Order: sequence, then C-alpha cells, then structure tokens
Amino acid sequence: MDQPMLMPNTTKTKTILSVQDLTKSYGGAIHALRGINVDVHEGEFLVILGPSGAGKSTLLRCLNRLVEPTSGKILHNGEEITGKRVNLRALRQEFGMVFQQFNLVKRLSVLTNVLTGRLGYRSTWRSLFYNFSKEDKKIAIESLARVNMEHKAFQRADTLSGGEQQRVAIARALAQQPTIILADEPVASLDPKIARQVLNYLKQVTHELGITVICNLHQVEYTREFAERIVGMSRGKVVFEGTAEDLTDEILHRIYYKDPDEEEKNGK
Amino acid sequence: MTSATFESAVQATLQREVQVRLRRYLKLAIYGAIAVAALWYAAVQIKLSFGALISGVPFMWDFITRLFPPDFSYLSVLGNATIETIQIAIWGTLLAILLSIPLSFLGARNTTPHIIVFHLTRLLLNSLRAINELVFALIFVSAVGLGPFAGVLAVALHATGMLAKFCAEEIEGVDKGQVEAQMAAGATRMQVILFGVTPQIIPQFIGYAIYRLDVSIRSATVLGFVGAGGLGFSLIQTMKLFKYHQTATCIFVIFLLVLVSDWICGKLRRKVI
Repeated sequence: MDQPMLMPNTTKTKTILSVQDLTKSYGGAIHALRGINVDVHEGEFLVILGPSGAGKSTLLRCLNRLVEPTSGKILHNGEEITGKRVNLRALRQEFGMVFQQFNLVKRLSVLTNVLTGRLGYRSTWRSLFYNFSKEDKKIAIESLARVNMEHKAFQRADTLSGGEQQRVAIARALAQQPTIILADEPVASLDPKIARQVLNYLKQVTHELGITVICNLHQVEYTREFAERIVGMSRGKVVFEGTAEDLTDEILHRIYYKDPDEEEKNGK
Repeated sequence: MTSATFESAVQATLQREVQVRLRRYLKLAIYGAIAVAALWYAAVQIKLSFGALISGVPFMWDFITRLFPPDFSYLSVLGNATIETIQIAIWGTLLAILLSIPLSFLGARNTTPHIIVFHLTRLLLNSLRAINELVFALIFVSAVGLGPFAGVLAVALHATGMLAKFCAEEIEGVDKGQVEAQMAAGATRMQVILFGVTPQIIPQFIGYAIYRLDVSIRSATVLGFVGAGGLGFSLIQTMKLFKYHQTATCIFVIFLLVLVSDWICGKLRRKVI
C-alpha cells in the first residue's frame, strides 16, 4: 500500500500581508499610489524597488497607518487593518520600522533609544520616569547584541557613526518583537561598504528570528544582492514582480524611465 | 556570534546597566541633597513662611474690599495715559529692534568682525539686561526730564539687551552648511550675513520682537511710578491719595490692556511663525 504523500511545507508561501487596490492621493490632485496590489509572504525579504517619488515610502507608511490610504484594503493575516475600527497601537506593535535618517533621539543613550521600541507595550504613566522593566531591558540588550552594538549601549546616540546608528535603529525595531519590519531606504545615506554591512545585519537577524522584511531601495545593485523577491514601482503603480533573475535591463528601464500610463495606452 | 558568547555579552551588558543606573542615582542623590540644602537655607534667610501668608489674608481682603467698587468715572482721565502707555511701548520696542540688529551680529561669535568686538558687545548687552527698566527710567528722568520720553528710552535700552542677546544666540545656531555654500561661492562676509544667516533667523527674530512688544506694554504700565509717563503715574498717585476706587480703575485698565496686547501679539506671532 502506498504511504500517504507528505504535504509540502506551505508556511513559506503563507501570505502575511495582502494589499488590495490601495490608493493614496493628497488634496485630490497628487496621486502617490494608484491602485497597488501586492502580496507579502511570511518570512521573506521583499524589496520594493523604484525611483524617488514612485510612492515607495507612502506605501510603506500605509502599512502601519502612519499615512491613511485614500481607498483600498490591507489584510494582515487575513484581517483587515484599514478602516477606523483598528486598534492602531496593537497594530503598530507588529510592525517595526527603520528609517533613512535613522531617527534616533540624539540626546538619549543607545539603550534608551532601543527601549523606545518597547513603548508600544507600556502604558504612558508607567514610562513617565523613563523606567523600564527588567524584562524590557533584557529584550533591548539582546536586540543590541544581535547587531553587535551592545558595547556602545550607554553612549549618547549622536556619538555613533551613521552605520552604527542604523544598526541601533534596527535593534530598536527588533526590540518591538515585530512580525514585520518596514525599512524605508535604510542605506540611502551610507557608503557602499557600510550599506552592505547594514543590509547584511538586517537580512541575517530577521532571517534568524523569522521576521518578514519589506525594504524600500532605489539602488539596483543592493536589490540584486539582498532581495528574495522584488516589487518594482513607478509613479504610484506596481510595474514588476519577480526575483533578481527576472530583473532584466528591459524591466529596469520600465521601472526607472517609462511612464506606466503611456504603456497602458499603447498596450491596450 | 555563537549562542554562548551572545548570552555572555547580554549578561555582561545587563550587569553594566545596573552599575550605570546606580551611579546615576548616586549622582542624583548628591546633587539633590545639595540643592535641597541650598533652597532650605534660602527659605530661612528670606523668611519664607506660610504662616505669615495665612495670617496676612484678612489684611489683603481689607485692601481688596477698599478697591470696590471701582470708580469708572475716572476712566475719562485715564484715556490719555492708556494711549501714552501703548505709545511708549511701541516706540521703545521699535528703537530696540533697530539697535539690536547691528548689535546682534556684532555679538555673535560667527559674524563678529573681531573677538574683542564680540566680548565688548556681550558686555554691553549684559549690562543693558542687568539694569531694570525702572532704574533706567530714573536715570533718564533726571537726564531728559519727567515724561514719556524717559520711558521710551528706558524700555528701548532694556529691550535691546534682551532682543540682541536672543538674536545673537540664534545667529550662532544657524545651519553651517548654508553658510559654507556661499563662502565657497566667494561671497564676502557681509554677503554671507545677508544671504546665508539672515534668512535663517528672521522668523525667530520677528517672533521674539513681537513677544518683546508684549513685555514692553506690561513694563510701560509701571514706568509712571518714577515719573516716566503712562498709566503708572495715575496708579501710584491715586494710591498715595488713598483714592482706592480710582486705583481699582487703573488696575482694571492695566488688566484689560495686558489682556488685549497678549491677544493681539499672540495672533501676530502665529501669523509670522
């Protein structure tokens, strides 16, 4: 008798985020996002590639509701996270964020900066005197150690170099114990060597912890090197979805130089 | 990092966190103790006493009841004094603005022509700020005679000290990148001040000048105490003559004036900044 076939492991392809027909316009005239449809798989390192002004940052900020989308839906593990009834605080615990300009509070110590990643879990009155629980401190220091920055824990954040600051910012996102990290041009203001180092940390640590990463980049090189999957954006639209191998010169031309509206007119 | 070294690094940092925190608490306790001791000593010296405050309440109440009802017929006499108060404040602030423009550039490290000029300017500004408007008014009353002009000069000099120092500090805090770009283009010192520094400080300067106008109106209401014009003269005069109902009217007008100036200045400031 035949043994029943083992089902292939489907966790790799489980959809953690599903963006459906998302649009965002400012004042009715400027359309930052024009009908975005993207699925994000659990645990993947997804790069959103596109030129400045393509709408990458807006899309990322719609995901954790720093920006309110104009229309469309976002599903997180099948549950809608757009609309007024969503608990933003609970939602944002799930999404760690890393910024282009690091956005560390310069006058606070490295450790306190990382501890701010725990604020989503603490009530306001319990953080009134900057006190954190032992548990929170352990989580913060572990996060720092993951990016090898624990030795600078008690320095002021502005004494660090750019690359070090971004590693601390990654630690801050990790301290949130998120399921997803949104990285908005995390290496745009770093030199190539440091940029690769930071992306390496980001990819390796999130892989170890099983965190999904959505990373905006405008550099093709880094995208080829680090992306497990790529979404290409141009002028508020998705114009490409695939892997690094699919990223041909023709595709790059479409992402960086072509007007997606022109293409639609000619194609249809 | 292997998991063993990872764990030991985390443990070591956790222990250091405790040390760092204890050291900070110790420091806080020492400085706190010094501050409490100094404040306690000062409180004893200046006879800070809640008892005296409480036992003084009936006397205050007595004074307040004597003020009522205010004599509103006295308003017709105060009309001119009120307008004079506003005029003193406006002219005083205007002169202060004009004086503080050059002084603030001379008194900022990054725009001063020479370090000696910088120190002399700061010395001048410090002495202007050190002397209260009422003291200035006394000096000018003896120099230019009784009347509002002495008040204008008093307001102007004190406000100059404040405004120029504030502005000089703003100048020292400007973004160096914007200045560097113009130096790189071969601009002269004066051109850099005009094109690189001034645009950066204008909003703060205007905001502070409006705030100064507000403060000047408040101080112009008391300059009359020493004969330098405005509402203060009527205030002190009616008190000396025990015409408390008229004093109440003066206080009422001053209150209204301050309220209106606060409202107008607040609106102006929001518009500019």
